Amino acid sequence: MGAAMSGAVVSSLPVCGSCGAVAAIGARFCEACGTDLPTPAGGQGATPPGEILAAPVPDPAGPVPVPVPEPVPCRECGGVVDADGYCTSCGAKAPRARDHVVEQPQAWVGAVSDRGIRHHRNEDALAVAASEAPGSHAVLVVCDGVSSSEDSDVASLAAARAALDTLAGPRAQGLDTSAGLVAVIGARLEAAADAASRAVAAATSHDHGDSPPSCTFVATVVERGRIVTGSVGDSRAYWLPDAGQARFLTTDDSWAAEQIAVGVPRDQAESGPQAHAITRWLGVDAPDHTPRITTMEVDGPGWLVVCSDGLWNYCSPADELGALVRRIAATVAGEPLATASALVDWANGQGGHDNITVVLARLGADPDSPLPRDQTGSSR
Amino acid sequence: MTEFSAQVYQNEFLADGATDVHAIVTVTCTGAGQAGHTGAGEAAEIVIVDTSGSMGPVGIRAAQLAAAAALDQVLDGTWFAVIAGSHVARLAYPAPAGELGMARMDASTRAAARAAIGTFVPEGGTAMGTWLELATAVFASVPSAAQRHAILLTDGNNQHETPAELTRRIAAASGRFQCDCRGVGADWQVGEVRRIATALMGTVDLIPTPDEMAAEFETIMRASMGRGVASADLRVWAPQGAQVLFVRQVAPAVEDLSGRRREINALTGAYPTGSWGDESRDFHVAVRVSAARGVGQEQLAARVQLAVGDEVLAQGLVKAKWSDDNELTARINPEVAHYTGQTELAEAIQEGLAAKAVGDTATATAKLGRAVQLASETGNEEATSKLRKVVDIDEPGTGKVRLRKAVDRLDEMALDTASTKTTRVRK
Repeated sequence: MGAAMSGAVVSSLPVCGSCGAVAAIGARFCEACGTDLPTPAGGQGATPPGEILAAPVPDPAGPVPVPVPEPVPCRECGGVVDADGYCTSCGAKAPRARDHVVEQPQAWVGAVSDRGIRHHRNEDALAVAASEAPGSHAVLVVCDGVSSSEDSDVASLAAARAALDTLAGPRAQGLDTSAGLVAVIGARLEAAADAASRAVAAATSHDHGDSPPSCTFVATVVERGRIVTGSVGDSRAYWLPDAGQARFLTTDDSWAAEQIAVGVPRDQAESGPQAHAITRWLGVDAPDHTPRITTMEVDGPGWLVVCSDGLWNYCSPADELGALVRRIAATVAGEPLATASALVDWANGQGGHDNITVVLARLGADPDSPLPRDQTGSSR
Repeated sequence: MTEFSAQVYQNEFLADGATDVHAIVTVTCTGAGQAGHTGAGEAAEIVIVDTSGSMGPVGIRAAQLAAAAALDQVLDGTWFAVIAGSHVARLAYPAPAGELGMARMDASTRAAARAAIGTFVPEGGTAMGTWLELATAVFASVPSAAQRHAILLTDGNNQHETPAELTRRIAAASGRFQCDCRGVGADWQVGEVRRIATALMGTVDLIPTPDEMAAEFETIMRASMGRGVASADLRVWAPQGAQVLFVRQVAPAVEDLSGRRREINALTGAYPTGSWGDESRDFHVAVRVSAARGVGQEQLAARVQLAVGDEVLAQGLVKAKWSDDNELTARINPEVAHYTGQTELAEAIQEGLAAKAVGDTATATAKLGRAVQLASETGNEEATSKLRKVVDIDEPGTGKVRLRKAVDRLDEMALDTASTKTTRVRK
């Protein structure tokens, strides 16, 4: 058996103690009002999230403990924040947990999702899990809610968690051939996209308008030196080796990608008015959500990056992102979470026009020294 | 079980640098119950009838029938009294001359009150302020009556007290009871009576002929008995440094509440809205926040609450979200646009009629033309048909009108009294 997984959350049906809304399985806070939800004491078993979302009824097993919200002072004026989520003095909106999400299932993985500056809510979602031994096993999922659709923040979170639940099942053990292992993981990624798509559908109301909830999907499975990635839409995975050629692990399903494919320069295609129009997505109105699968073998130390366009908008080419990540990692001694966090800060510094999600995994390094080989020893 | 709910209609998106936030808040009351029967205190009613000489035998007879019809609607157990008004006010029922008091309604007091009403004779002049003064004192004689309502009937000008005296007496009565005012015939001043109704949180309307009085009084009293919530306040919280530009009731009728503000705390004001039955009212709240926040930022611009006593029973949140997306920020909320137009319509009608009364034809034509345009835009067909009796409409779209030569004064008064009645947004 490998080391215990962390990050895969199974919970009983959470009900927000503040507003009474039923939350998604495993939700850490209420999607309706942002109140933190209590950590479930015991799970009810692995009920598919879609079913939970489709049946928003109170838990018959008993009352869910109601959290007593800690009175947090207003970040802007120090006043009292009301239960309605706004300061009683200056009216500032209190930050919601979803505005800035930080996860680190193991020391070699860091994940940060941030509202950014220009958007009113964070429609990006992430779900990550990893085993303890660096580089041994990880599942990294990012979904970016399409901002022109309704409730896409709910959809993206449901999708990311459903994908993680599928991918974080029993690991493919004992497969002695690399090809066999990759085939199993590839099939699992397709099942994860199916589960994510069902979760989006379950989060879609019956009387949805012209723009039902929808989101992108990128999931990467790290398994003993191999990286298998599946994607739908324009959220990306990159492999950024410390030495050698940085590369894309995904191809965008976007108008811009189609332009690039027919020879339009990347910088031109990605700055056009339709640059962010995606051609495939998850949602009840999606024509097809079969993920494009790519596989690679890790041949040296480097960074695996899974991110939303809130990051790559400011640094799209793989080699440029590689240089940026190495430069930023060097300022925080190569610590993955601090690096992810610093990359989010950097994107906000560029304008933060979209939600920003960055998931990093440090791979191929000596387990005793998980820092980049070319790290200059600065410990600032 | 009385319940209130609040629904907010607004475009929460503001362009970069914008600071003014407008919202329509619909407050709905259900399960109000009957006046005086909900544990919120007893109910009291006073019927105030004009018995001045100008009423004449026909007018007095109609007023007697109307007063009796109103009393028939008063629920048993309710405190009540009848005041006869001329240049002085007289408590006609229940107390003998010189004493103040009210009676509890039952079969025998109702019969006795009818008998007292039957003795009215038309004589003397008109001083409505004295009627209000006596009503205030009569209500005060029953401290247990929390819900106090009066119907006031008049037929003529307030000739026997000065405007200053009337103003002072209105102010003294304000907040002591609610008063629905009705004028019969064409010899009373809409503006004068509207002043009373507005200050006393009641309605004003025209009863064209005496024979319509009884039905009107019956309707008013039945509505009053259906208001089980004695008194409720609209509360508006606005953030530190913000300015509440105005608070208006906009449906069922336009009523500026801004001047009624009573401070709850530094950031919250209470605006009395009187008693409530099972009904819905719309309020237009406008707030100017102290400074625009950056694009992508959000704040609360107002908490709009319905409070009974110290208890907040419903709340709506008015938000401000700054965006650089013109599609979002340029959108005008249909409810806000509709009621902004209806408020302007009421002003245009009142100002146009006032100008016409002093012979300022140019202003009257311009204002009433604008009113025609607004009535057409907001689909207020009642206003359009009433305007048609005062002006000839050449082009409703542009507001091109001509003042009609011979206008029935009753038509003009009907237009005036109906000016504040609004239509709801078609959803």
